[in-house]
Amino acid sequence: MAAGRGGTHRSSRRREGGVLTTLVALWNFSLALCGVALLALLALLIGRAISGARTDRRAEERRRLSRLLLEGGDIGRPDSALARTEAVRLTIELTELVRGSDREALLANAERLGVVEVLRKRLKSRTPQDRLMASEALAMFPGEADAVTAMLDDRNPDVRLGAALALAQNQVAPPAAELVRKLGLGTTERSLLVVSLMRDLVESDPEGVEAMLYDPALPDSAKLAATDALAASGRVEHAPLVAWMADAATEDSALQPRIYRALGRIGHPGGHAAIRRGLDSPWWQARAAAAEAAGKSGMVAACDKLGELLGDPEWWVRFRAGEALSHLGRSGRNALHYALEDGSDLAREAAKQTLAERGLA
Amino acid sequence: MSFEYAEWAKQWMLDGAQWIAAVVIFTGLAQIAFYIVQLVFAAFALSNRPPVPRGATLWRRYSDQAPPIAVLAPAYNEELTVVESVRSLLALQYPDFEVLLINDGSKDGTLARVIAEFGLEKVDRFIDSGVTHQPIRGFYASPRQPRLLVIDKENGGKSDALNAGINACRASLVCAIDADSILESDALLRVVRPFIDEPELTVAAGGTIRIANGCTIDSGRVTHVRLPTNFFALVQIMEYLRAFLMARLALGRMQVLTVISGAFGLFRRQRVVEVGGYSHGTVGEDMDLVLKLHRHMRDLKLDYRIEFIAEPVCWTECPEDARVLGRQRSRWQRGSLECFVRHKTMCLNPRYGRIGIVGFFQILLVDVVGPLVEVLGYLLIPLLWALKLLAWPWLLAFLAATFTFGIFVSAATLILEEVQLRRFPRARELAILALIAVIENFGYRQLSNFWRLQGWWQFVRKQQSWGTMTRKGFGGATGAT
Repeated sequence: MAAGRGGTHRSSRRREGGVLTTLVALWNFSLALCGVALLALLALLIGRAISGARTDRRAEERRRLSRLLLEGGDIGRPDSALARTEAVRLTIELTELVRGSDREALLANAERLGVVEVLRKRLKSRTPQDRLMASEALAMFPGEADAVTAMLDDRNPDVRLGAALALAQNQVAPPAAELVRKLGLGTTERSLLVVSLMRDLVESDPEGVEAMLYDPALPDSAKLAATDALAASGRVEHAPLVAWMADAATEDSALQPRIYRALGRIGHPGGHAAIRRGLDSPWWQARAAAAEAAGKSGMVAACDKLGELLGDPEWWVRFRAGEALSHLGRSGRNALHYALEDGSDLAREAAKQTLAERGLA
Repeated sequence: MSFEYAEWAKQWMLDGAQWIAAVVIFTGLAQIAFYIVQLVFAAFALSNRPPVPRGATLWRRYSDQAPPIAVLAPAYNEELTVVESVRSLLALQYPDFEVLLINDGSKDGTLARVIAEFGLEKVDRFIDSGVTHQPIRGFYASPRQPRLLVIDKENGGKSDALNAGINACRASLVCAIDADSILESDALLRVVRPFIDEPELTVAAGGTIRIANGCTIDSGRVTHVRLPTNFFALVQIMEYLRAFLMARLALGRMQVLTVISGAFGLFRRQRVVEVGGYSHGTVGEDMDLVLKLHRHMRDLKLDYRIEFIAEPVCWTECPEDARVLGRQRSRWQRGSLECFVRHKTMCLNPRYGRIGIVGFFQILLVDVVGPLVEVLGYLLIPLLWALKLLAWPWLLAFLAATFTFGIFVSAATLILEEVQLRRFPRARELAILALIAVIENFGYRQLSNFWRLQGWWQFVRKQQSWGTMTRKGFGGATGAT
């Protein structure tokens, strides 16, 4: 019995000893971690102090390189890493500021300064930011489209999209269908920047973008981005585009509001029937977008229906209907005044506020 | 018999002391472990973010697709600074935005100054009634300033003013700010990125708040970044770095962000209306809104994202006086507790996914239990050690959990800032902050916990006031909110 109690005591002491050892180890570990962090901070501080001392040299290098980039002259490859880094940085900064032949001359000077080689190396950087910056910058240089096109297979989606945007902006993008496949447009890539991409693609390949509309395998959102771009460009015949949109608007999809807005922007009479159907949609977002489109495309024939929508339970629909009526001339104003006299409480209030806000009362 | 009793009592006290120490140390370590996870996530988020370094590139990339934004700036008794604030907002670089200044029943000449300065006239406006607020007395606008609308309403507090702005605006995105803060000119273009990258999913996004004390401010712009000389302001710079660069960035990456600062947040208007806008009767209205959005989207079973972006910056003035700072911290603590209790059914509830489990666990650990346990540790562990009820290693472990790991987290945050963002222009500033990262743990940290306990007490007593927040003003003027 005594031996048992002694055993319990021993095991309890062992346990306590183990706990105390763990606690001391914890303290030591925290000290070590804290020490490492403070040493790292000290190293960064020393690095900062050294780089601070190079500020004057960097400023001087920037002055020299900006003169060379803008004016040309006796250009040789920079021999220091600092000069190469500054040359790349300056090239990216300055190309945002100059256009036309000045830009071409600047890019030629940058190439002679070895900027292209540095950018090509950066395409292989482990940091996505570096690869993206390099892709965007390199796409500006004639003859570098292949290197940037290869970045469409990059593992990082931001790099892929950035490379595509840069290629399209410089009119050297691969065919639209290839971009859709490589970027996963409408599936994995849902950014609104896809619309910007399409707008740039329309400039170089309008037929390719138009063909996207009739590709059954393509997601609706990618088609809509193409539609937005085509509608804004005027580079293709609008009638089939509008017919496609009118057809797409009959489907119960989350893209309906965007389709109605695009129809309103185009203002083609071929879209009026679809917009009219949108005014009766059970989904308020679609009704509001259709009302906006009706106003923008001058659908005087929709005044009665828009007058009814002044009594819609959803404020956005009432607001868009009022806004549309105020754009539809005398017929629109008449509809507002009619609602003011004979409409429901909501419609009367909407009409009153719309007329007052727009100075039509 | 009496000897056995004394042995039993001594053992009981020893066990009790060790249990108390274990709870304190375990809670501290759990917090530290969570912070280290946050540091890893923040580092990953920063190293993988798309680079958008300069204004021109930013504009070229995003301006075409940037959705309209309504900037909502509530103002209460801001007569001295309101004109400069509005000018600064109107100078923001963004393709399509409107500024809605909401005069929340100011008792001074705030409204009159804005009307006179911008040549405004009374106008009519057809507004929504989706969220509730005090009655609006009038709208003021001018064709000369088509981006500006001033809403004059009866006083109802910041939440109420923001609700009025939400009803009156027509943009799909609303940006809530403090009228006395300064947005960097490209802040909107930067903070809108998630709404462009994931337009169907993004519900809200927050940006970084930085402290402007010590900086040079000219015409509503921060022109030179400098550190303040006041100790409390310096410590708050470290706190804000940890809160934004580490915690919120990481929580955003994990999709468990529980708060977007009331000084700078961008929201999808429709979703805000669906949750009833900002809540009345809480001092944690910014946290409450984010939690309501999480709950709403989870209840609807819809995919969504609430993001934090490190680059867009809103500058704010922090209190330099201990009393004012103490009031602010007590209020923040009270706000967290109010939000926790309001949404307690989400806490550790698997139905709310990661926000219920991770997000609320973080609130529970850091905001609810954290200050209580830490103060308990400060009071009891040295005492129990002095009474020889705790062995020396227990005290060491407590010091590790509170001080050395604390210094490590602050130093690691500074390293992250220096490696990824480098927003402090000179090495000297970095050195000062490194020093602050160490010394804040001795004295200030304990004081901060005392203020948080005060917040706990106010919460228990159901105290609702905001207290007075005295500011010097960016132009050296004085004001109070």
